[in-house]
Amino acid sequence: MTNYFQKRINQWSLSVIIILFIINILNIIYNTPMVPDQHWAQKIFYVHVPSAWVGFLSYFIVMISGFMYLTSRDNRWDNIGLAASEIGTFFISLVLITGPIWATPIWGQPWVWEPRLVTTLILFLIYIGYFMIRVYGGYIERMKRNAAALGIVAFINVPIIFLSVQFWSPDIQSHPQVEMTEQPSEILSPFIFSLIVFTMLYTVMIRYRVYVIHLNNGMNEDV
Amino acid sequence: MFFVLLKKELFIELRSKELILSMVVFGIAIVLAFSFSSNLSRTVVMDYASGMFWITVLFVSALGVHRSFAYEKEYDAFSMLVTAPIDRGLIFLAKWVSGFIYLTLMEILIIFPFFKFLMIDYPSNILIAISTTLLVNLGIMAVANLVSGIAMRSNLSEILLPILFFPLVSPIIIAATKISTGVMLNESYGVWEIWVLIVGSIIIISGLAGYALFDYLVEE
Repeated sequence: MTNYFQKRINQWSLSVIIILFIINILNIIYNTPMVPDQHWAQKIFYVHVPSAWVGFLSYFIVMISGFMYLTSRDNRWDNIGLAASEIGTFFISLVLITGPIWATPIWGQPWVWEPRLVTTLILFLIYIGYFMIRVYGGYIERMKRNAAALGIVAFINVPIIFLSVQFWSPDIQSHPQVEMTEQPSEILSPFIFSLIVFTMLYTVMIRYRVYVIHLNNGMNEDV
Repeated sequence: MFFVLLKKELFIELRSKELILSMVVFGIAIVLAFSFSSNLSRTVVMDYASGMFWITVLFVSALGVHRSFAYEKEYDAFSMLVTAPIDRGLIFLAKWVSGFIYLTLMEILIIFPFFKFLMIDYPSNILIAISTTLLVNLGIMAVANLVSGIAMRSNLSEILLPILFFPLVSPIIIAATKISTGVMLNESYGVWEIWVLIVGSIIIISGLAGYALFDYLVEE
């Protein structure tokens, strides 16, 4: 098997995403306007929202790959599911870290039971269980089936978890993600650019992680 | 075939009685712990009675459903069960219904000590309280059996079960607490209708997911 970075397309995609990511960060720091009440804290949203988008997209991919694995028993789908769950959890962790960082100066406390943040936390906890199934699942084929099933169950519950948390405490204000599309273009354009860069970064990360898992599985089979 | 499987589940318990017994004793122990930790403050107890009740049910159902699947692991009974020429989704349905019956029985046995130990009044509309409790029991057991099917034959099933079960069941616990609070305060149905709908959705989603996925989960 050839090295991942021996392929020119992979070299290029990595180089492009590193450059775009640096441009994105510099753009957020220097070019985006300061929002009067929030100052620097608002800039977290250029990272927080794209991280949440990529995290949920990743968990959606876990569900699709789980469904595909159960119906086809093709190990490639299991590899994609594992890679997506790992990278998704990484981005979801970023959401859970950046959310309270923003909330501390704006709302005066790090945690306010905001519905989206609570849903994210519950999903994060379910995925910790998902990784435990991966490690302690026993017989490997059974472990893969159980993980695939859990990936499906976890994601189909997201709307219900979100709705229940939202209705649970309707007085708690949502963070300004909803109004992001109504923002002026000097905020909206860098936000969309950040969203695209994060999505591109995600595709590079998942491709590489799937390659490493595939390689690792091959080595284990050789042993 | 479903009724044969259900009969098997109920007969095992009828002979040993260990599941109901352990669930009831554990339930009363939790109620005692709540009584001590609340200092029997009337304000605290009235505000949190619904939550305390459903947390008790949550812990007890985790214990019960684990034991229910642990029966099958002994002497590898589950391998024999899944090799039988039956729809495996029916195994899930039988476990779900038997779990629902055990949980309801446990609640019948602990509801009296719960109200008496915490010194709270019974809800005025008993019929609505019973019907909503039965609905929530159905939801809790749907999720519990689905999760148990996933965790059952892993190496750390007794640890994995609550780790997966508690976050997944959180919408039901929120809904159950809201419904029970509404019933205790004699609020009109319209106030807590949304929570009944949420529990209903979870029953449908978890029931269908359990029925469809169980075939893959129990495969050898």
